[in-house]
Amino acid sequence: MSGTVLDDIELIIEDVHGNHGGKPPSRDGDDGGGDDGGRDGNAPEPRRPGSRKYSTAVAVAMLSIVMFFMVLTAAFLVLRTENLHTWAGIRLPRILWLNTCLLMASSATLEVARRRLNMDDSRGFHRMWAITTVLGMLFVVGQVIAWRQLAAQGFYETSRMASGFFYVFTVLHAVHLLGGLCALLYVGWHNLDASRIGRPMAVEVASYYWHFMDGLWLFLLALLYFGQ
Amino acid sequence: MLSCGHKQTGLRYLWLALFSVVLGMALSVSMRLQMAHGGGAASNRYTVLLLLHGSLMVFFVLTSAPQFGFGYFFLPLQIGANEMALPLLSGLSFWLTLAALLGIAGSSLLPLRLGMEVWLAGVICFCFAAILSAVNFCTTVTDQRTSGMTLTRLPLTVWAWYVTAVLSLLIFGILLAACALLVSDWFFGTQFFASGQVHSDAALAALWQRWFWFFAQAEVYAAMLPCFGIVSHVIATFARRPVFAERAVVLALCGVGVVGFCVWGLHMFSSAMNPYSPLVFAQLAGSLGIPASVLLASWILTLWGSEVRLTTAMLFAVGFISLFLTGGLSGLFLASRDVAVAAASNDFVTGHFHLVMGVAATFAILGALFFWFPKLFGRPMNETLGKTHFWITFAGVYCTFMPMHWLGLLDRTRGGVPAISAGSAARTFITTAAMVTIAAQAIFLVNFFSSLWRKAPCASRNPWHATTLEWFLPSPVPADDFGNSKPCIYRSAYMYGARFAGLDFLPQHVSPQQLAKLH
Repeated sequence: MSGTVLDDIELIIEDVHGNHGGKPPSRDGDDGGGDDGGRDGNAPEPRRPGSRKYSTAVAVAMLSIVMFFMVLTAAFLVLRTENLHTWAGIRLPRILWLNTCLLMASSATLEVARRRLNMDDSRGFHRMWAITTVLGMLFVVGQVIAWRQLAAQGFYETSRMASGFFYVFTVLHAVHLLGGLCALLYVGWHNLDASRIGRPMAVEVASYYWHFMDGLWLFLLALLYFGQ
Repeated sequence: MLSCGHKQTGLRYLWLALFSVVLGMALSVSMRLQMAHGGGAASNRYTVLLLLHGSLMVFFVLTSAPQFGFGYFFLPLQIGANEMALPLLSGLSFWLTLAALLGIAGSSLLPLRLGMEVWLAGVICFCFAAILSAVNFCTTVTDQRTSGMTLTRLPLTVWAWYVTAVLSLLIFGILLAACALLVSDWFFGTQFFASGQVHSDAALAALWQRWFWFFAQAEVYAAMLPCFGIVSHVIATFARRPVFAERAVVLALCGVGVVGFCVWGLHMFSSAMNPYSPLVFAQLAGSLGIPASVLLASWILTLWGSEVRLTTAMLFAVGFISLFLTGGLSGLFLASRDVAVAAASNDFVTGHFHLVMGVAATFAILGALFFWFPKLFGRPMNETLGKTHFWITFAGVYCTFMPMHWLGLLDRTRGGVPAISAGSAARTFITTAAMVTIAAQAIFLVNFFSSLWRKAPCASRNPWHATTLEWFLPSPVPADDFGNSKPCIYRSAYMYGARFAGLDFLPQHVSPQQLAKLH
């Protein structure tokens, strides 16, 4: 190799920074920052550059949570089938239906809060966000009451496989929901002006997760109801 | 100490792997000596050593080093990002892995019941660490790629880390759910796994073994995938040729991930529950041969007729191919249920498993270490010592694990009664070969630490004349990686062989305008 040419090319190729003339090829519609601000035409605050990663991370994490609950569902169905004749079902506590209504309502108020934020109505956003958080907390309190009611009926964890699955499903869902509640509290009451994520993206990410928890609960409830 | 930077996290994982591999090898020496002195493989002490050896090697070496160690360090550099997408998760993942290591290693010192609980806690910590890392890797590759870094331009290492992350996301979610049911059984009195007999030592031991193998089944694929990517990358670099059928290799990596996941799922839920599941399992295990064949063909055809530079890294990559091929052939026997039952005993499985996963993956890790050492520490490793270490290790592992296949087949033909007693010539040969191989690792340790403390830094940023981005940063890599000005990518990661201005490679980030100027 020629030393001079090699020196020249090494000087150039070792400069790894920046764009050296010419338009760089597109990255399949992604500009690297992940900022597609302006999707909501009247959004008061555009998404911050690089904030899209948070929604990706939550979507990816949700995939893992789906697998987690699918395994529990598979275990439930397999053991249910294996013990077809000896399976002793339980009567679901009635408060579960009220809890379900509370969770549905919280999803609705969350959407209203998002719309208020898009309309630059900060006060309305905070009010609806607070209602969502309170409804979420009431759901968890309702679940605790449901566990106590079931225990009062004599179905404690150890007695039957059906009650064991009831506790496992509802407790693990509640644990995941508590994570969502923490996110709601953080987004609602933490000053996100100086943070990387920014409020619009934080609200979007929290709402994705909350709706996901909502859908997951409906699925688990249907499984517990029809599986008895 | 609490830094969550990707380079620090990657290095911590590599140090953790080095500690674990030294401890794991010491345990294997102890096991072979116990067998040689008539201790037998059935004693409790042997079982504890075996469990600890397997756990350390599988979790903290084979899984952690190629995916988390090299992945955390080089993934952001190769895609032109300054950091992982979620640095907090990087740090959290490492500390959870360390907690898992302490739990799993410490469990062997505790009474059986308490030891199993601590071991399970360690496994749960590792699951969380793997899931957090998987979320981080997926998000980073999806959203943090620099301008011009399209999916078709991703280095194969990045593809392998990406596919492994997706696979980990699924399989560790599964394992975590299974652990949740087990925790519920142990601590809250449910009866999902054992009908009230969980407190007997025999049932506990059976569960322990069962859970370890459930874990290992998934880990095989999670550990091998990054190795495939690393080997493809190293071979192209030192063969000075583009990867043969690069897109087919990407598809093969995805195929290994998909099939690996399906095999895991079937093994987890269906075996022993459905009479047809072993058949399906065997078909799926056999179908792994398709992506594996594509990878093998690509490696061999990339090497075919090339001007190979036989560096230590390249030797380990070629050694990986040899071991993968040999171990894969014996795997075909085990994938067929009837043949496996008829022909395979513990020795056969041990030989197969160590060749195809344990040693092959270790060769890929060592190849990666020799390849990236200049970038990791700013100093090259000694090539002469490296090659000496390679040849002794390569011969040693074949002398150790090939006779095991023969012993396994021989045992089975004698009706399951071990035909070769503990003191036989064959077992003595295996033990001697294992001792020599393990002793040869001292050469590696001397090379590693003397290179680390060497004062002379690397003469060049890019000693291997590679094309990917990390080689154009100073060695060691600056704290802020690319700084404020991100690179742009203009071509595939394997543009070798195109003679240009005296060079036989085109870096990914050099623009056509710059090339025109040089002309």
